[in-house]
Amino acid sequence: MNPPDISLIPLLFASIFTSNILLANFLGMCSFFSISKDMTSSNGLGMAVTFVLFITSGMNWVVYHMVLVPLGLEYLRYIIFIIVIASIVQITEMVIDRVSPKLYITLGIFLPLITVNCAILGVSLFLEIREYTFTQSMVYGLGSGLGWWLAIMLLSAIRKKVEKGPVPAPLKGPGITAITIGFMAMAFIGFGGMLPVQ
Amino acid sequence: MDFATVLVAPAALSAISAALAILISLTDKVVNNYGEVAIDINGGSRGLKVNGGANMLVTLAESGIFVPSACGGRGSCGECKVKVNSDVGPHLPTEIPYLTNEQLEENVRLSCQVKLKGDVEIEIPEYLFKIEQYEGVVERIRDLTHDIKEVYFRLTDGELDFKAGQYGQIEVPPYGKVKEPTQRAYSMSSVPSDTNHVEFLVRLVPGGIVTTYVHEHLQEGKKMKVIAPFGDFYVRDTEAQMICVAGGSGMAPFKSIFYDFVEHGTMDKRDIWYFFGARTKKDLFYLDELNELQEKYERFHFIPALSEPEESDNWDGATGLITEVLDEYLRNTISTETEKEGYLCGSPGMLDACMAVMRERDMAEEKIYFDKFA
Amino acid sequence: MKMTPEFQKAQANMQPGVITSDGFLGDETRPIVEIITADEERMAHLGIEFEDAAARMRELLDKGRKGLGEPITVDGNWVVKVDEARGFLASPFEDGIFRKVNAVVRKKQAPDEQLLVSELSLHLFEKYHFCQGKGSPFRLEPEKLKRVLDL
Repeated sequence: MNPPDISLIPLLFASIFTSNILLANFLGMCSFFSISKDMTSSNGLGMAVTFVLFITSGMNWVVYHMVLVPLGLEYLRYIIFIIVIASIVQITEMVIDRVSPKLYITLGIFLPLITVNCAILGVSLFLEIREYTFTQSMVYGLGSGLGWWLAIMLLSAIRKKVEKGPVPAPLKGPGITAITIGFMAMAFIGFGGMLPVQ
Repeated sequence: MDFATVLVAPAALSAISAALAILISLTDKVVNNYGEVAIDINGGSRGLKVNGGANMLVTLAESGIFVPSACGGRGSCGECKVKVNSDVGPHLPTEIPYLTNEQLEENVRLSCQVKLKGDVEIEIPEYLFKIEQYEGVVERIRDLTHDIKEVYFRLTDGELDFKAGQYGQIEVPPYGKVKEPTQRAYSMSSVPSDTNHVEFLVRLVPGGIVTTYVHEHLQEGKKMKVIAPFGDFYVRDTEAQMICVAGGSGMAPFKSIFYDFVEHGTMDKRDIWYFFGARTKKDLFYLDELNELQEKYERFHFIPALSEPEESDNWDGATGLITEVLDEYLRNTISTETEKEGYLCGSPGMLDACMAVMRERDMAEEKIYFDKFA
Repeated sequence: MKMTPEFQKAQANMQPGVITSDGFLGDETRPIVEIITADEERMAHLGIEFEDAAARMRELLDKGRKGLGEPITVDGNWVVKVDEARGFLASPFEDGIFRKVNAVVRKKQAPDEQLLVSELSLHLFEKYHFCQGKGSPFRLEPEKLKRVLDL
């Protein structure tokens, strides 16, 4: 293994800002679009995604390096990562239902949909491609989660304001949202190159 | 190709999946295990210790306390309201459409939507404690009019104790296109002394889930769940004159009340005026029975009123809307010297109209009792 | 119009046996948004506003109540019979519960054409422009509304 020489704090900031998983890599879009309508649910979903990303990046690193590589089963990584992600989401769902049934009902279908949120699988695959160490993986996972959470909060705040403005009828809803995301992505390009992530 | 190499992959996959499944199962045990919770009812007058985790409606029902519910806990009827005095979290979006602003402020909740996760304090009306569930087998079913059936159940697993005038809920099992059990309320028309039986008068309502079942599918020998007794419509034990008004299936509680009087020998204790409104003669029923009571008991007066009698009816009784007939009797026939109590059973429209007439004829509002079909 | 989760839930609740015995869709299997769009077009074609039709029906319902369950002549032109059954019906859109008030409305001179209106069907008509599926006994057919309500 040949891990990149990046210390943890710059890596954290890089994963939140310069390589924001949503705005730079365009992963994790579908719930980004739909849940950002409401700020409280966006907050809740952001928390859930961060939690899932943090745990799965750690677990997937362990499973990959402790089980798959020694047994020469790297080719199974896609299916194994998905199984791990699905299990963690299942557990997260049960915990949220217990702790906050209101959030559980508000998130509705989007809570189990975290399983197929490509940002989650994306992070697990990145840590394997970029050959991160265990701590680097956990930090990258945490940072990506926080970056996703930040992006969805920003978008829901902007949407709330834009909603009240004079949007032409054909662009209302998904149209203007897509344009807004484009602008946000362009803004985040400004961070580009400041901190390396690999 | 080495057999072992081929097997390593599926083995690793299974091992990892199994480990994760165990992890999920353990989390489930921990997260969904709420342990024992205490339910404090009505300021400590009663208490329950139950296993947490299920919703309040189901938990209370399992402990023998039946909060009214028409939809069986699916969150679509709004009847299972309970006042909760401890904090069980904010109102869920599934509860809000069924609660008024006042109820929201008082933390009235839909008990089928509140999960028991810890100790709670609740308030429920005292009469709910007498309510029990019974299995009823249809002993007799017959037509009274073209749209009212009389259904007589034998209760196989207990004795029913109720006050004449109260109502019960019958539950229809899934049938035809109806996939879930559904409950509806009907006044009980049998006498309380007949503790092993209960009778209901069921009028066919267009599109009604339970009334359609009763009219099209129910036969002798079939079983239905009966939950009773409910309601606070019953006779007050005074010597005041009883002015009773009913229409259609509103006859049910009065049948129970009058025959209960007969059994206890109290038919001569006070003056009873029973007004029954219908449209034509074919909408009337129990005419013979009621006329018989009138002949036997001097102080019992039965006044059926038809609003649009047909030629062929040869009707020589009172005609007009029941409110008009009631008004006429209150003005001209019924004594104004003795106190009067009003007993009404029917739709809100009919009740409001009759109450207006009674109030105008100087009857005290507190002395007018009613079973609002609500 | 898209079938949002709200409408999908309503469609499921409108099936026979969930809230009422016959359901609200009659013989139709189309998604309710299609039924609504089609009926909105018909109403526009006939020149009737949903609010006006709803207001007329509500007026007939309120005045018909005075009959206390028997048919009564309203405004000289209509015969209305308003019945009420015990209990409440939940709206399929889970936005409230309604008394089981059913009205049979017909023009005095046309006893064969009857319109069945309930508090719930009126709410669905007014708020969602939902006239119910063809074949439902409580369907508020736009042409029929025009004829019976004199719009």
